[in-house]
Amino acid sequence: MNTPAVDPITLTVVWNGLLAIAEEMGSTLRRTAFSEAVREGEDFSTGVFDKQARLIAQGNFTPGHLGSMPYVVRTVLDYFPADTLQPGDAILLNDSFLGSGHFPDCFLVSPAYVADALIGFVVTTAHHIDVGGAAPGSQRVHGVTEAFQEGLRILPVKLIRGGTFDGDLMRMILGNVRVPEKVEGDLRAQANANRAGARRLEQFYENQGAAVAEAAYDEILDRSEARMRSLIGDIPDGVYSFDDALDDYGPGTPPIVVAVDVTVDGEEIEVDFSRSSDQVPAALNAYINYTRAYTVFAVKVFCDALLPQNSGGMRPIKTKAREGCFFNPTFPAPSGGRAAVQIRIFDAINGALAQALPHRAMGAFSHWGNPNIGGIDPKTGKSFVMYDLAFGGYGGRSDKDGAEALAPVMNCRNIPVEVHETNNPVRIRRLELMADTGGAGTYRGGAGLRKDIELLADAAVMTGLGDRHLRQPFGVFGGSPGAAARTILNPGPNARELGSKEVVDLRKSDIVSFRLAGAGGYGDPGKRTASRIEADLADGYVTPAGARRDYGYKGEA
Amino acid sequence: MYRIAFDIGGTFTDFVLAASDAPPRFLKLPTTPDDPARAVEAGLARLLAEAGVAGQDLDAALHATTIATNAIIERKGAPTALITTAGFRDVLIIGRQKRYETYDLYMEKPPPLTPRRAIFEVVERMDHNGAVLEPLDSASVDAAVAAVLAGGYTSVAVALLHGYANIAHEAAIRDALAKAAPDLPVTLAAALSPKFREYERTSTAVANAYVRPIVDQYVRRLEGVLAATGFTKSMFIMQSAGGLISPEIARAEPVRIVESGPAAGVLMAAMIGTEAGADHVITFDMGGTTAKLGAVDGGAPAVTPTFEIDPIRYRPGSGLPINVPAVELLEIGAGGGSIARTDLGVIHVGPESAGADPGPICYGGGGTRATVTDANLALGYLNPEFFNAGAMRLDVEAARAGIKRDIADPLGLSVEAAAWGIHTVANGNMERAMRIVSVERGRDPRRYAIVAFGGAGPAHAARIAQSIGAGSVIVPFGAGVGSAIGLLQAAPKIEVSVTAVMDLAAPEAAAGIAKVYRDLEARADADLARLGADGAPVWNRYGYLRYRGQGYEIKAALPDGPIDAGFPAAVEAAFHAAYAQAYGYHDDAAAIEAVDWHLVATLPHPAGTIDLGWRAPQGSAPAGERPTWQPETGAFAPTAIYDRRTLGVDADIVGPAIVEDPEATIVVPAGMRARLTAHGHLVIQTGKGTPP
Repeated sequence: MNTPAVDPITLTVVWNGLLAIAEEMGSTLRRTAFSEAVREGEDFSTGVFDKQARLIAQGNFTPGHLGSMPYVVRTVLDYFPADTLQPGDAILLNDSFLGSGHFPDCFLVSPAYVADALIGFVVTTAHHIDVGGAAPGSQRVHGVTEAFQEGLRILPVKLIRGGTFDGDLMRMILGNVRVPEKVEGDLRAQANANRAGARRLEQFYENQGAAVAEAAYDEILDRSEARMRSLIGDIPDGVYSFDDALDDYGPGTPPIVVAVDVTVDGEEIEVDFSRSSDQVPAALNAYINYTRAYTVFAVKVFCDALLPQNSGGMRPIKTKAREGCFFNPTFPAPSGGRAAVQIRIFDAINGALAQALPHRAMGAFSHWGNPNIGGIDPKTGKSFVMYDLAFGGYGGRSDKDGAEALAPVMNCRNIPVEVHETNNPVRIRRLELMADTGGAGTYRGGAGLRKDIELLADAAVMTGLGDRHLRQPFGVFGGSPGAAARTILNPGPNARELGSKEVVDLRKSDIVSFRLAGAGGYGDPGKRTASRIEADLADGYVTPAGARRDYGYKGEA
Repeated sequence: MYRIAFDIGGTFTDFVLAASDAPPRFLKLPTTPDDPARAVEAGLARLLAEAGVAGQDLDAALHATTIATNAIIERKGAPTALITTAGFRDVLIIGRQKRYETYDLYMEKPPPLTPRRAIFEVVERMDHNGAVLEPLDSASVDAAVAAVLAGGYTSVAVALLHGYANIAHEAAIRDALAKAAPDLPVTLAAALSPKFREYERTSTAVANAYVRPIVDQYVRRLEGVLAATGFTKSMFIMQSAGGLISPEIARAEPVRIVESGPAAGVLMAAMIGTEAGADHVITFDMGGTTAKLGAVDGGAPAVTPTFEIDPIRYRPGSGLPINVPAVELLEIGAGGGSIARTDLGVIHVGPESAGADPGPICYGGGGTRATVTDANLALGYLNPEFFNAGAMRLDVEAARAGIKRDIADPLGLSVEAAAWGIHTVANGNMERAMRIVSVERGRDPRRYAIVAFGGAGPAHAARIAQSIGAGSVIVPFGAGVGSAIGLLQAAPKIEVSVTAVMDLAAPEAAAGIAKVYRDLEARADADLARLGADGAPVWNRYGYLRYRGQGYEIKAALPDGPIDAGFPAAVEAAFHAAYAQAYGYHDDAAAIEAVDWHLVATLPHPAGTIDLGWRAPQGSAPAGERPTWQPETGAFAPTAIYDRRTLGVDADIVGPAIVEDPEATIVVPAGMRARLTAHGHLVIQTGKGTPP
């Protein structure tokens, strides 16, 4: 091997130290945040950058910000050259094109200094539960036709100057959001995390010395790249294509084609979504940063799940989509609800790479539900936004069933029923897995999840953000698709079926029943062992009728 | 006055017989896993005979055990049913849903202690204030009871939504079960852990139910063993938070003793710290497979209101949450047996471990992969002839060959550099853990001493302490039976808590807090009656509070005395101080919300330190010299070697030096000094921080 510029021991110490800084920032952010999304859902990320604006280490948090995180410091420097920054500053941005594809994700970028010399940056990104716009939660899909309806758009601004928040800017921001206490609290939590991270990075850099640190950064990026290249090199060359579709982008709209062509050529991989539909006049479009985030995620899942995250490992992965297509829209395409798309980026790449790496593939996910319900809380007389995350099962895998009820592509925690009911005027009537919904297979897909939410306030607006109502999660290698999802307003005699992205005015006592799809199966259901079928029957994942229908099971139920 | 303490660990059962007028007697016997009481029986007989003491002369028997933990880790608990609110059967299966490895979509969730088939529903509903929205449907209760009986379950947990706010429905289900099956143990989540967040509370109740029959049988057996010696007083068992409870409470709420042994270990470290003049201590116990870190603040072990059991690869979020107070403990996969490997041209150490079997290469027990112990041997830190006081000879050449093959050759390093790499990477992993325990939790490492024990801890502690800025490392005398000594330090203690979310600025806050504490005192009184200990308790109140809108609370000690109109303001002041300590700032203008309320009743106990029997020998000359690796110069250098058994209080050890102890090897790096305290503890000054 080459003679490294840094000895392996120092390199190990530097690498581990940077990862530790990114993790510590995350724990500060979570513990001081105000919104359920950040503190319970952990919908945030952290990153450490060098002075050349290269992402050197990222915390083990949600991958949704992978696509933009590597570029965000460079973006900030375009607006604020290094000589306009000083210790204690922090730059805020949330633009959907510059950031991670929708306005709720706010990035806060802070420079770090040793003896007045810029030595790097620390960054936090957090999903804020409201940034204004057409509907509570700022994720309304249907009826939103341009980004300007989606709330406050922040191109890079200096929110914190030398450690002090800019009061004018804060007033402007908080005057435009529905839950100013939570937005302010979360911004302050981001500032806490950045302050802690910058301090640690500064100490760390000083201890290592500039020459060693800088050389180590190069090594970290180069080695990560080399590893990724060699892993891609192990995938058989070829062009692997897969076509799927999202249900629609609101009631009465056509499906959105999700078509991917994955080209593996030696040590590089190109993932091209250009054959997909054009951008849509609804807030679902996936800006290229977002498309890239989940493309990188998918390639990493197929190559090396534990490879440390930095910009070096991303170099051999090219994400493409023609300009103006759904996966590379042009501003001001609306995108608030683009989180509904992430699973489908993974599903499509999974469908394509299954042809090359069957042992790493899986059936399609049960989609997920990300409804927002907002109105006035009768107890406080103030606005509330109930932000929810509902996750079903994983597709069947090459050697085992899909996991039940686990965060799919993004990695968040759910919000406890008792927390929702304590904080918001809602009652959760039901939260359970549904029998016979997981796609049959040698290895069964995970079950769909049912969550029924009742409104206790006089009125509210519900923004649905789901999918797989019309197109079931596919199975692979002969596995069956999972059951389709449904959203039902007031189950019972007056039930009304809702579209996956419908916006509904709710009245007191209305119940919305979210029933997520089951996940796809893996392999021929006829080859499923009797003992697995019997265990499913005993645990109620499969009913006797379902076992007969899906597996031709004739044993005692 | 005689007291006996025994701690049943995974490998050894340790005993201490303490007398008021003589040094204590120690004994270490192999644990008898099929029937742990057998080793206790043998040890008691031997120690009592040696001391010439009869069972009826014992004033107390104190016990720590891993039996509850092992039953959960090995999934060997009782067939357990769970009864829950209709519509919420899957709370336990769903969990909190976050992956502990973001990019691993082939991961498995930790298997729950009850399968889905053992979870039954009853029709009922409360709201978060405890108001009944839907009364308990007796037909559904009958059906659930029938299903439990038909399924042959030998333990039952009941966990209803918002049960923490009103226990009535859970209690009614318990009564129905008792009617149908009087001997069936029933655990109510609302009684055991009346706190919100349904998954964590349900998990706690199920874990309790799961280990209850095993612990019940085990405790009864132990009581029989003690009674057979003529012992007539009550046995006490260490609970996870560091206080003693009666066998009766341990049998009913065994989840309280899950971290029994580690709690005793932290108490021991607190005592050692006090003896050495350090009130603030980080405990560092590095054994063969893991390193465990805890903290002692102002002489009191740090306690966390919730912890995880059986995490996967030590990843946070991968274990089963348990909502009962426990000593704060961070466990990572770094021990003497941790295996080193290379990846991406850098060195990784652990969490994979060679453990004790096959063990490191140098043990000659069949281990083939280079470990931390092999590295420490190759660096000259360990004496191949004096491992376990010479009971085992270590193979230096085999260790070097393994390091060469696994690390040095792939990275183009010398064997010594590779061995140092393994040592320092392991240190880095532990430094990260120590940083979490200190800085991230509001503890300034400069004010803390590290108490290092376990077979591998003293070889690593000094450099880790130096890198986080701690001023000293204390290596206790008698650490080999550390947890058993810790038992002698413990007080009988009752801890109760409840969730009652409250706005401190509201006019009704004072009355609300007063009611919370009336209820808590009533619960604590009932437990005190079951504790069977004498004396008047000392009461301590704590609140778990946050700025309104936050989701994580921090603990603040609350004032005692009457709860009057001024009390909420005092609570606020306590919170501001605690928040500033943890995060470096506080916000006077923000509204504060109290979430959980906690009450601790501590009974008097024979306090003070215990004479561990160390007697200063004469003379402190080095026993010899051998070359050890000096990273500062990148070379071996002649290093003084001391035999700890010959060191007196006049010893002045100047690093680099090695102090050999039959139980562990102590490394004193260059630039540091070490001395002995009057109690025989070795204190290394790192040159950082504020020495105690």
